[in-house]
Amino acid sequence: MELKIRKSSNIYIIDIHGEMDLYNSYKLKDLVMKMLEKKVTKFVINLDKVEYIDSSGIGALIYICSTIKKMNLQLLVTNVHGSVKKVIELTKLMGYFPMAPTVNDAIKTL
Amino acid sequence: MSNKMIQIDDNSKLFNTEGCFHKEFPSDLRQVRYFTLLIVQKAPPEIKELNLLEQQISELIKNAVKHGNKCDLNKKVHVWYYFSTEEARIIVEDEGKGFLKIREWNDFNEKRLQCLHEENFEELGNFVSYRTPDSDDRDGGNAMFAALEYWNKGVVFTEKANKIAVSKKFPKAQRGINID
Repeated sequence: MELKIRKSSNIYIIDIHGEMDLYNSYKLKDLVMKMLEKKVTKFVINLDKVEYIDSSGIGALIYICSTIKKMNLQLLVTNVHGSVKKVIELTKLMGYFPMAPTVNDAIKTL
Repeated sequence: MSNKMIQIDDNSKLFNTEGCFHKEFPSDLRQVRYFTLLIVQKAPPEIKELNLLEQQISELIKNAVKHGNKCDLNKKVHVWYYFSTEEARIIVEDEGKGFLKIREWNDFNEKRLQCLHEENFEELGNFVSYRTPDSDDRDGGNAMFAALEYWNKGVVFTEKANKIAVSKKFPKAQRGINID
C-alpha cells in the first residue's frame, strides 16, 4: 500500500494505492493521527486505486472516521467502487462513512 | 430486519468434509494471504468475483491463526474446502481455546442491526467494531459481520468453538445468449 498526500486549499487529500490489508492498514491510521497532531481539519481519503480491502482496512477507516467525528472535524471518503464497495456493503457501513463520488466533489463539499 | 446470527451446532451438515480438499498451515500471520491463495486457486473463476471469496476466506484463516492459535508457530490451522461454480464451502479449525463469546457477539450484532434498521448512525458508532480484551490496533472487529452477509448458507461453530464452517450458494451462471 502506498499513501500520497496532496493539498487543495486547506483540504488534505490522501490517495491510497494498492491493498489495504492486515499487513499495512495501520499505516493509514498512523498517518491520519500525525496529520491531526499537525492540526489538519479537513480530510479526503481517496480509495480510487485500492484493489483489495479486508476487515483491518475497514477497521482503519472506522477508527479514522470515528476519531474525526468525535473531534468535529471533516472527512469525506471518495471513489468507493469495485471490491472496496462490496466489502463495505457486506459490513453495512455505506451509510456510516461520509462519502463523495469523486475527489472534486469532496473538495466542493468541504 | 435481518436475523442472521452465528450458529453453534456440532452436528451441522456444514461440518461434513466429504469431497473436500484439505490443507494444514502453521500459525504464521505473515503468510495468511499466501495460504489463502493456495486454497482459492482451486475455485472456478465464476465465483471469485472481485476477490471477495479470497477476502472472506482470508478473514477466517486470520482469525484462526491470530485469535485461535495466538500466532503460535507450533500450532496448526486445518482447512477443508470445496468449490464449484455454484457453491463454496470452507471449514477452518485451530488448536486454540475457541471463540467463547459467540452469544455475546450475537447480542452485539443484533444491536448493530437494530441501529441500521432504525438508521440511527450516531448509536451505530458504538457497534461498528466488536472488540475484546484480546483485540489489538490491527483488528478491524468487523470481519464476522461481513461473514454473516457473505456466507449465505450459514456460519456455524462447534460447541468448543475452535472450528468454524461456512457455506455460500452462488446464482446459477446464465449460459448462452438471449434472442429476442
